[in-house]
Amino acid sequence: MKAITANRLIDGEVIFWNQGQWVERFADAQIFGADDDAHAEAALDIAKGQPTVIVEPYFIDVEEAPTGGLAPVSYRERLRALGPTNLPHHGKQAEGGAAIEALLAATGHSRSTGRVNLIRRK
Amino acid sequence: MYRYDVIDQEMVQDRAREFRIQVARRLAGEITEDQFKPLRLMNGLYLQLHAYMLRIAVPYGTLNGEKLRRLAHVARTYDKGYGHFTTRTNLQLHWIKLRDVPDILDQLAEVGLHAIQTSGNDIRNITADPHAGATADELDDPRIWAEVMRQWSTFHPEFSFLPRKFKIAVTAAVKDRAAVKVYDIGLAMRRGRNGELGFEVMVGGGLGRTPYLGSTIREFLPTRHLLSYLQAILRVYNRHGRRDNIWKARIKVLVASLGAEEFARQVEAEWEASDKEAVDLPDIELARIRAEFGREFETLAPRSTVFEARRESDPAFARFVRRNVHAHKIPGYAIVDVSLKVPGETPGDMSSEQMELVADLGERFSLDEVRINYEQNLILPHVKLDDLPEVYEALKGAGLATPNMGLISDIIACPGLDYCTLANARAIPVAQHIAERFADIDVAEGIGELKIRISGCINACGHHHVGHIGILGVDKKGEEFYQLTLGGSGAEDATLGQILGPALPANRVTDAVDALVDTFLKVREGEERFLDTFRRVGMAPFKEAVYAEAH
Repeated sequence: MKAITANRLIDGEVIFWNQGQWVERFADAQIFGADDDAHAEAALDIAKGQPTVIVEPYFIDVEEAPTGGLAPVSYRERLRALGPTNLPHHGKQAEGGAAIEALLAATGHSRSTGRVNLIRRK
Repeated sequence: MYRYDVIDQEMVQDRAREFRIQVARRLAGEITEDQFKPLRLMNGLYLQLHAYMLRIAVPYGTLNGEKLRRLAHVARTYDKGYGHFTTRTNLQLHWIKLRDVPDILDQLAEVGLHAIQTSGNDIRNITADPHAGATADELDDPRIWAEVMRQWSTFHPEFSFLPRKFKIAVTAAVKDRAAVKVYDIGLAMRRGRNGELGFEVMVGGGLGRTPYLGSTIREFLPTRHLLSYLQAILRVYNRHGRRDNIWKARIKVLVASLGAEEFARQVEAEWEASDKEAVDLPDIELARIRAEFGREFETLAPRSTVFEARRESDPAFARFVRRNVHAHKIPGYAIVDVSLKVPGETPGDMSSEQMELVADLGERFSLDEVRINYEQNLILPHVKLDDLPEVYEALKGAGLATPNMGLISDIIACPGLDYCTLANARAIPVAQHIAERFADIDVAEGIGELKIRISGCINACGHHHVGHIGILGVDKKGEEFYQLTLGGSGAEDATLGQILGPALPANRVTDAVDALVDTFLKVREGEERFLDTFRRVGMAPFKEAVYAEAH
């Protein structure tokens, strides 16, 4: 499974793709299944065509979290979806709730393939 | 401190106006992100994990009340009410919105602050001894020379597109509080045989992926030739520095590959061939800058009865004096450290309210001066001994009087993976856990000076290579691991740390530090520092202590 993420140009906010819209919560992100690559690639192409809205869209790998729900595979991406661990009242984690708990419960730190490709491209 | 003249002021205001136009063009789609990125970086604006980060320059770590108060205002109005002081004595704001940056730069420019050359392949903010102008062990105020270099290097057309970023540090004291040996150029003032002042010029120091200590390429450069000699160094670097490989582009790699002797020969040849007078600062201009750093100190009794009485009656105050107060060159004054290292909190973070309090204390009690040191603490450089009890109370009330300067809980940590796009692992939580473990100040003081430096990646913003205990975050098979180094120092006895052994998982780091400290306390002789003991006994007992379980 994968999702598309980026930062919003005007304020840097971490955002996720959902059916042609950008949403701020990972829990609201559109999840593309393993057999849905064509749609995912098409969505990323549309995202890349929005340079005055977002910066650097890319795929992140997603898996089921241990406590249910979904979470990014990459620890880095979970931090983006949550906020910094030193100040738990900052960032998206401040909102709390089940979706945030699912992200917090996820473990492992492997990088997502999409992010690795982005780093290589740079 | 140096006050901007009309030219300085117009420069920063023009730059703010220019960036406003650049932001508008980016938002309108007239320039691409690839075109905009170098422009925003030249104004200290990064895009990090959660938001934009604005790195605001604090030239040679010197602020006054007005500037610090403005930083507090900007942090409160446009960020989350706090800022993060860095090892480059800059202030980073981690939750900035692009749409606000033009207004922020305008507000900063009003008080002579800016973010110019806090990023990019140019000459970055120049750092200096944070005790400059206050310590008795200096030959001159190094900030005069830092200001000379600031003016020379700002928007320098020849050196705006170097192979890589370029950092200069200067000290004029015996004790190195500016880590000059790990800078691209480190300048240490010396007195020549005829009494003339000059600089020992060290080149090619640096941390990061390939750490080096600077090599001395000139034992004594008369101060009047500082700029022409810097120009010669930068020209040799600009000509031969590698632009094909970002990991080999710093001047340290050039100096290492050519050899310091050959590099020095080329610099001397370039210098001899140059028109020195066209570059070196005229005496009249130097005198103008020097006058800005002049200070009128009062004639005070060397002893203060108010101070002595409090020290004798209050052990906590006595400890604060022992750890956080330093001798001043003028009798009756003291240099006071403001600790940003409360155990459990984020090293270097400071709230807007704390900034305003220190701004107020600086204005009332420190001749309107506040300093930042590279160890992520602040300094009130000119406090009367008579005023120390009142200053202490005010700092204590704001959580700024932790008496741990130089101790195990006075940890440098970069923002790490909690904020930074480059990081492989977090640094702040590691610092928090270690500082909490050693939060008992009696224990910490018993251990004595022990400098822990933590970086979240090999770029080494947390100076781990020169920590007595250095901790480097690495990504090992997808997990946060930490590689420990021992025996580093960023002071006048600079050395690079040696790797202790295989990297440790996050949950073993604090225990490992504990084991290192236990070993130190067992084999310590007399009043040795951890670093002294390590140098005497070597790596073996420490390695055994940390990895014993694995055998």
